[in-house]
Amino acid sequence: MTDLDDFRATVRAWCDAHVPAGWRAAQTDVAEGEYVAFQRAWFQELRRAGYAVPHWPEEWGGGLSIAEQVVLFQELAAHDAPRLVLSFVAIHHAAATLLAAGTDEQRRRHLPAILDGEVWCQGFSEPEAGSDLASLRTTARRLGDSYVVKGQKLWASGAAHADWCLLLARTDADAPKHEGISYFLMDMRTPGIDVRPIRQATGDAHFSEIFLDDVLIPASQLVGAENDGWRVARATLGAERGLVMLELAERLGNGGLRWLVEACARPTAEGRPLDDPVVQDQLARFETEITGLRALCRRLVEAHAAGTVGGADPSIVKLAYSELLQRMMDFGADVAGLPAHTELHKPLSSGWESGTWVLDFVGSWEWTIPGGSSEIQRTIIGERGLGLPREPAVGAR
Amino acid sequence: MTATPTDLHDELRRVARGLLARSGREVGGGTSPVPVDWELLASSGWLGLEVPEGLEGAGATFEEVAVVLHELGRVAASSGYLGSAVLGVGALNLLDASAARDELLAGVAAGSARVAVVVPTGDGDGAQEPSFRLEGAAGARRLSGEAGFVPDAPQVDYLLVPAGDPASTPVLVLVSPADRGLTVTDQPVLDATRRFGRVAADRVDVPEAAILRFGTEPGTAVQRLIDRGALAVACDSLGVAEAMLEATVAYAKVRRQFDRPIGSFQAVKHACADMLVALTIGRELIVAAVRSLARDDADAPVAVSMAKAYVGAAAVDVVGKAMQLHGGIGYTWESGVHAYLKRAVLNRSLFGSPRSHRRRLAGRYVATAAPGE
Repeated sequence: MTDLDDFRATVRAWCDAHVPAGWRAAQTDVAEGEYVAFQRAWFQELRRAGYAVPHWPEEWGGGLSIAEQVVLFQELAAHDAPRLVLSFVAIHHAAATLLAAGTDEQRRRHLPAILDGEVWCQGFSEPEAGSDLASLRTTARRLGDSYVVKGQKLWASGAAHADWCLLLARTDADAPKHEGISYFLMDMRTPGIDVRPIRQATGDAHFSEIFLDDVLIPASQLVGAENDGWRVARATLGAERGLVMLELAERLGNGGLRWLVEACARPTAEGRPLDDPVVQDQLARFETEITGLRALCRRLVEAHAAGTVGGADPSIVKLAYSELLQRMMDFGADVAGLPAHTELHKPLSSGWESGTWVLDFVGSWEWTIPGGSSEIQRTIIGERGLGLPREPAVGAR
Repeated sequence: MTATPTDLHDELRRVARGLLARSGREVGGGTSPVPVDWELLASSGWLGLEVPEGLEGAGATFEEVAVVLHELGRVAASSGYLGSAVLGVGALNLLDASAARDELLAGVAAGSARVAVVVPTGDGDGAQEPSFRLEGAAGARRLSGEAGFVPDAPQVDYLLVPAGDPASTPVLVLVSPADRGLTVTDQPVLDATRRFGRVAADRVDVPEAAILRFGTEPGTAVQRLIDRGALAVACDSLGVAEAMLEATVAYAKVRRQFDRPIGSFQAVKHACADMLVALTIGRELIVAAVRSLARDDADAPVAVSMAKAYVGAAAVDVVGKAMQLHGGIGYTWESGVHAYLKRAVLNRSLFGSPRSHRRRLAGRYVATAAPGE
């Protein structure tokens, strides 16, 4: 046995002992407080094993090798462990930003706190800044040792529970749009912040609007240089994509595919869908695509570690995953038929595929729209991956 | 520092691309494709990549063969590589060592012996009865049967025919197109870069020395050859699609309409992006299947079916989109896109359609999910 085989055996044994039995049923149709408590408990469980932030540097509590991280996420997916949802932005986006561009003081202040349960959200999108994020209008005006922030943020995932927010705001209104943006760490308890949940297509409210009315942010909470926020955001947005996508692809290839086959094996009045050659053909298509995607995600994770990620690689993975997820959930809803429409709640803490097919299908737009819609990804792939010319700017001749 | 397999493959790929570019064939320009110079294939060592070093070969694996197949696909090359180097060497390597086998392997490596293997190349799981039978008493064996679409059959010195012996054990029978009772008929296909033959044997006398025995597991030998052929064709399709995406992107950067390069239009750009995504997923499936087959993993058939099903279909989509995005010029004979399209469509059917391979994959779900659960 290699060291990696040993590690896999260790993770498997840990999963067998620690993944809470029956958590899916227990986390279906529960109050928000129960979900939050479950997420916090699961995060600490993973932390005690050294599995909560495996991708962080060793000095901050991580330090698993890339190969070990791949094994860890494969096994968590294979054991259908709960996903880390509440801490997602904190352990990925916030940590990547602090590690890449934060000051020592900012790291010491926040990284241990994140391990203790500090929750983060992301304040990037705005009502008038979706796909064209750099056109954001929230302003941050320097006033002594602070900035005064005014504006509105949209689609902040988990903001209702967040202690801190990663915030992009305009600090130079006269500069070209990408060059007048700064990156801040904002304490969500600061006066002037009003968080209002947005009810989404599935009926849940995981996202919020954040209204910012003269919110004071100390200058010490600026990340990187003033007006250099766009570069910081771009550099750190992709940093987590490899591992996150690997986890999601592993989940789609494990539970996602398994539940889909099970749904097809459920007898109906005209027999099992699984005995229909059309259904068999479609399942084989899905398995083939997910197999290719999983391999591609492993390659992306390794490329991140080696510093060889191509400009379009994260977009290729995101686009392929989103659209495969959507097609699989669509097919699941179709095969599962009317009974699936009576499942009014999906288990919280699950992945985007949970076996509640109709809700999963409706929720799949949560992947094809945010984080750069599929259309934006195709443009990035065409321009950065293939070198095709950009579209002429409006008004340019 | 030891070179990694990847470094070796990169070097092989570089050399192959250069040699094939210099071999001077132009797709589409002429009326019929010029075959890649057989001497070039032999002298470069590509014919004997999988032939043991003691027999004039390179002692390499299918991983290296896959690199050459990919490059041959990129230029839609006409060659007898599939028959001799891929299927021929593959079949001979499944045999117990013998003087006849070793002589033929060395001949293939040197380029002096061209061979074709008469395996089923259409849809089906390959588990059916061999279409050739060996009958008669020992010392007076006769071969009968027929098969179509045998790759490279009209241009070979020897044919290797899998057949059931009187005890129904699969064996490999070595015959020559000149043998009495054997006919090889050219089967012209729309894809002029490939050659196929119909092989019919009517009580062909076979000496004992020409009856070659498979080593371990003769029952799986034919299926292994079909899988090898399927993956070889998938590697070719990946090269075909890759070349066509590159050609399309290059064209979309320079072709101007409405005062701008057509590649700046989202409709064109997004179509190219979809081609790249499909190629990227397909490449992963090919890499995994090639490694699996080269190592003779137990799940190699699954990996092969995934690669063949996905890349076989994706290549047709990519080349079809390439013709579309080239516009009128893409539909001309001169552009050569048609040659890639015909090759991609043929590849899709050769050694099992995507549907057929997916049926094999799906059999695993049906087997594991018992009815009524």
